Order: sequence, then C-alpha cells, then structure tokens
Amino acid sequence: MSDAIESAEDQAFRAEARDWLTEQLEGPFAYVRFRGGPGEEDEEFEGRVEWEKAMGAAGWTGISWPKEYGGRAASLSQQVIFYQEYARAGGPGRVGHIGEGLVAPTILAFGTEAQKQRFLPGIKSGTELWCQGYSEPAAGSDLANVQTRARLEGGKWIIDGQKVWTSLAHKAGWCFVICKTEPDAPRYRNLSFLLVEMNQPGITVKPIVQLSGTSEFNEVFFDGAHAPAENVVGAPGQGWKVAMALLGFERGASTLGQQIGFESEFKEILAAARENGTAKDPVMRQKLAQCWIELQLVRLNALTNLNEGTTRPGLAAINKLCWATWHRDAGELAMEVLGAEAEICAEPPYALTRMQSRFLFSRSDTIYGGTNEIQRNIIAEQGLGLPREPRP
Amino acid sequence: MDFRFTEDQLIFRDAVRDFLDGECTPAAIRGLIDSPDGGAVKFRTALAELGLTGLPLAEEHGGLGMNELDAVLAAEECGRAAVPGALFDSMAVAGPLLAEAAPELAAEWLPKVATGEATIALGHALNPFVLDAGIADLLLMARDGALYAVPRSTVTLTEAPSVDPSRRPAKVQWSSSAGQKILDGERFEALWTLALDRAALYAAADMLGATQRMLDMSVEYTKNREQFGRPIGSFQAVKHLLADVQVKLTFARPVVYYAAYALVNGLPQRSIRVSHAKVAAADAATLGARRTLQVHGAMGYTWEYDLQIWMKRVWADAGCWGTSAWHRARIAGAILAPGTDLGPGRTWAA
Repeated sequence: MSDAIESAEDQAFRAEARDWLTEQLEGPFAYVRFRGGPGEEDEEFEGRVEWEKAMGAAGWTGISWPKEYGGRAASLSQQVIFYQEYARAGGPGRVGHIGEGLVAPTILAFGTEAQKQRFLPGIKSGTELWCQGYSEPAAGSDLANVQTRARLEGGKWIIDGQKVWTSLAHKAGWCFVICKTEPDAPRYRNLSFLLVEMNQPGITVKPIVQLSGTSEFNEVFFDGAHAPAENVVGAPGQGWKVAMALLGFERGASTLGQQIGFESEFKEILAAARENGTAKDPVMRQKLAQCWIELQLVRLNALTNLNEGTTRPGLAAINKLCWATWHRDAGELAMEVLGAEAEICAEPPYALTRMQSRFLFSRSDTIYGGTNEIQRNIIAEQGLGLPREPRP
Repeated sequence: MDFRFTEDQLIFRDAVRDFLDGECTPAAIRGLIDSPDGGAVKFRTALAELGLTGLPLAEEHGGLGMNELDAVLAAEECGRAAVPGALFDSMAVAGPLLAEAAPELAAEWLPKVATGEATIALGHALNPFVLDAGIADLLLMARDGALYAVPRSTVTLTEAPSVDPSRRPAKVQWSSSAGQKILDGERFEALWTLALDRAALYAAADMLGATQRMLDMSVEYTKNREQFGRPIGSFQAVKHLLADVQVKLTFARPVVYYAAYALVNGLPQRSIRVSHAKVAAADAATLGARRTLQVHGAMGYTWEYDLQIWMKRVWADAGCWGTSAWHRARIAGAILAPGTDLGPGRTWAA
C-alpha cells in the first residue's frame, strides 16, 4: 500500500483536462453545467448533444481508445483523472455514454476492421448516439430468453420483435440489438449482436413514462426492420458472448466518475440536515454517519479495483450491488432528512426537486443492469463457485 | 388483552372494503388525479353513504358515535384502496377535537362533516403543509399555545404539489384576528396532543392498508411473471424479499390496534403507544415499498403500473404527523423519564 505519486505525464494530462473543461464549462457551455444527471436525463438535451460534439472535436471522447482510431490511448490512471476533473468541473450527464462506454469497447474487442472504421468516428465525434436493445417483455433478468428474431434475406437482416426499457431510444440514431438468429441452436448459442439504424420505417419507438413523470426509456418495436448483413458483431450465434462482455465494460473505470457524483449528493444531504436541524437528532446523526461509512466502502472498493481490475469473477457484481444499494438507501435517507417537506415538489404540476428526482431515480438502481438478486447469484455462482440455480 | 375485534367491527370493515373495491379502483383514482381536489370530494361524498364520514362523531351531530378501534379498521381499508383526500384528518381528528374544544362550532359544523358536505383541515407544526386546505370549509390552526378556528375565506393558500399526485397540500397564511380562539393553556396542550395522537394513529393504519395492497399486488405479480422458465416467486431470493414484508406488517398490525385501544381507554401510555404504532407502520411500509418495487423490476418503476399509487402514498404518510425520528424521540423521552413504571410488572397490564 502506498500513496501513489502522480507521474509528471499524468500531472500534465490532469492540467490539460482541467484547463479545457474549466474554459468550456465556465464559458460557452456554462448552460449545461451540472445538468442531465441521474433522473434528469432530459435536461438541456440538445445542449448536451452540442457538448458531446465539442468534447469529440477537442479529443476528449474515447480517450482510452488506441490512437489509430482517434483515441489518446489514455492509461487507466489518466481515465480516472479525466473522470475526476469532469465531475469537478460540473460536466453534464453524457449523452454519448452508451456509444463510448458500451458500443465502442465491444466493437474494438469483437468488431471487424470495417466496423471500427464505420462506427467509431461517429461515436468519437458525438454525431451518432446509441441505445441498447437488450431487455424484452419476457427477457429481463433472463436475458438469454430474447424472442426478437432476425433472419438473413437478400444480404440483409430482417428483424421482428420488441425491446423494452430502452434508454434514449427516442434520441438515438443507432441501436445494438440482441436477437435470436439461430432458432435451432441451443440456449446461449442462438443469438446475434446486430447494429441497427433507428431511423427506418420498420422501427417504432414508444416512450414509457416513469414514476417520476419523466420519460427516459422506451418500448421499441421491430416490424421487418433492416440491417446490412455485415452489421453483426462477432459471428452469428455468438451474440450472448458479445453481450456479456459488453456488460463487463459497463462497470469499468466510469464508476469512478459516478463515485464523485455520489460524494456530492452526500454533501447535499448533509447540508440539508444541517439546515433543517435534523443534524442535531441523535438517530439521524447515526444514520448519516452510516451512510458516509458505506459511501467510503464503495469508494475504497472502486479504488482497489483500479489496481486489480474487475476481471476477478464476481467482482463486477459486488461493485454493482454495493453502489446501487448505497444510492437507493441514500435516496431514502435524503427524504427522511427532509421529513414532511420531502413530499413537496418544486413547482406545479409535477416538477421534482433535485433530491426528489434522485430519490425516485435511485429506486431503479437496484433493478437495471441486473437486479440485486441477479448480482447475488453471480457473486455466489461465479465468485464462490456455488452450484447454479436449477434450470428447467 | 384480547386483540379480537367484535363481529360488528368486522362487518363494518368488510362493508367499507367491499364498497371501496367497487368504487375506489386505480382507474377511478387516476381519472380524478388531475382534478383540483384529486377526487377528495367525490370519495368523501360517496363514503358518506356508508356513514363513514360520521363514524367517530356523536349521534347528536349525525355521526355513528363509534370510537378509534372502530375507525382504525376503516382507516386501514382507506389506505388499502388509496382513497384520495385527508378524510380522517377531517372527520376523525378535527371533528372530535372541535367537539371537545368548542361545542357551538361543533354543533354548526360536525353535522355537515357527517353528511360529507364539509371538510375541516388541520394545521399542525409537524406538518408545514396543510392537507386539503383548498377544499376545507374551516381550518383549525395552532399558534403560540392556542388553537383557532379559521374560516377558509380568510386565509391565503399557496398550493404545494406533492410527490403523491393524489394529495393536495398547501401552505396556509392566516391571521389570528380572522379566527376564533377556541383553546389555550393546558387544555390546548392536552387536546392538541390528543389530536396529534389520533392523526398519527390513522396515518399508521393507512400505511398498514397500503402495505397490504402492495404486498398483495406483488404476490400476484411474482406468481405470474416467469423468468428462467418458472414463476419468479419460486426463487428464494425473490420470495424472501416479500416474506420480510409480511413479517414487518404482521408485527406492526397489533401495535397499531393497541394504540387505538390506548386512545379509546385513555391509557397513561397512550402517546408512546401511538408513537410505536407510527414507527412500526412506517418501517413496514417503507420496507414494503422498497421490496415490492424490487420484485416488480422495471415494471414497478413506470407511471402506468399502479404500484406507484401506494408507494407514493406511504412515502408521504411516513413523513406526516411526525417522522419516525420524531416518534422515536418521543418514546425515548417517555421511557427514560424518572420514575417511569416499566419492567416485568407491566407485562400483563394495560
């Protein structure tokens, strides 16, 4: 254990990132500062699209990618530095995170050279936004049970079926879709990972209103939608392997940026407790202390993983379980601190306060991207090597 | 102690339940959710047919002359059906308070409350926002150790939308000179605490009913929703989530009923029994909201799915008429007071 000294190279990287972020977010992009966080995905959306493009133009998207694809080949420590500086500067919720964080690593790992040439530049420049076509009405926790079908016909994939809970489908130009392409193959070997353009007659997007009254996710209907035959990542039938690898990317270095967001949310809860006197209540003091303890647990765990990587079986699931549960509980604590005021919205008809938005949004943290129950199964089965649940 | 309710009490509860099952459906609630009063007046008027609006009021005021033990079961049913409006604050807290504090005003107003024509709103320091102030005909407001009856026409309301879209809280600005002082001194302290105890009891009962409803919906959902080729309710990881709620709810129910009993019989420990009830019910309800949402997955997170009606109701209930922290502090104050008679000698005592 040691106090890592930042190398001269990393210090220079930090200074460069900080200068650029400060200049932009206190200058032309001040209006998107701190906007579009969890639960507020619609805030200043168009402005955040422009922000994504500006980041791309200045070389601050895809920083971990190889230089040949427009990246900076930034080391893990530099990625962390960037997320720290981004949070410090009040960088808005990214609209390109699905492309940058999920699609690009997947294409880099499994894609053809042609796919890299076709899709990475649009992600890098912020001109092509992506959404994730995973869950279906009958395939949530049981993701392998997807029923959306695709068949090759005349050099094209023809896709029929339905996805649900598809974040940003109403804004995205592209979607990656897990679908059944090999109906006769056994489970886990019957799926393919397709890249599908959203703007076409065969696709209908229907927003789903959340209990927050806002609408961030959608139902997506595929009715004879098309995709070129070459838009399959990995071989046909290998979709499950690709899809699972992608979920690993989902919990990579970016969780550090999230951690910084959590720290500032916690600070706001403390400030509210001080302001309304709850901080003097001995019971609430204990609860606030416990919340800090668990936040530090999440933080130290995340930092450890930076050294060790998250490849140890079950570790990614432990991380997800920890931070999701912390965030959910912190949301409840914030409401408890506010007491009777907690139920009062910002303004009619249903504009929520920031704390209310977070409280409601954090109800979903222990559900999306694998429920707590699924994470515990992964920890038990992959981490501890316990027998699998019996499957029919 | 005999915790059994009488045949008559159960019959009345069943009548309320049957009526609400037919009338106060999620579709009916949603249909009125954007109306100015969120449906409070419509359901108040409908429930008057059953006599519910006069349940704890004296017969001379057109009520049924029933007590808190009768009313607690009805409050539970109203939570189970998510009846819009602060009906119990008006008829079961403000009503008896007015009867005890100001007989002439009671003679004027309570017959109208009993028939469902009038609503009385309550402004208590624990609730910075007054529920149903917008439809109230009379407001009972406390200030500087005194209680005032204030006509609605003299107050200024600022509506404050609630996270629970069926609720209608408002900030009330009022002047003492526009109202009639009906209580002060020690009598104010005593009756205002009694009012708080009644209100907290009914909030607790409301949470019991709402939690039962969320649990019922979740049992139904997890029996039918299939993943990995079988109902998700067959997975231990899922069924245990709901079993814990059943445990909390089962434990909370006698606590709430005992608090009602303590109110009816004026037991010396009345207030801490009520506080216990509010804490136990809020614990069951907040766990219930969290767990039932979890077993529904993303479905429970949607506006369209009805679970949100009850989740938002218990989140609001938990913060009103004293938070759990406030009630725990009240219990601590009482049991730690010098000379408090606790211990084995009290096991079978009331």
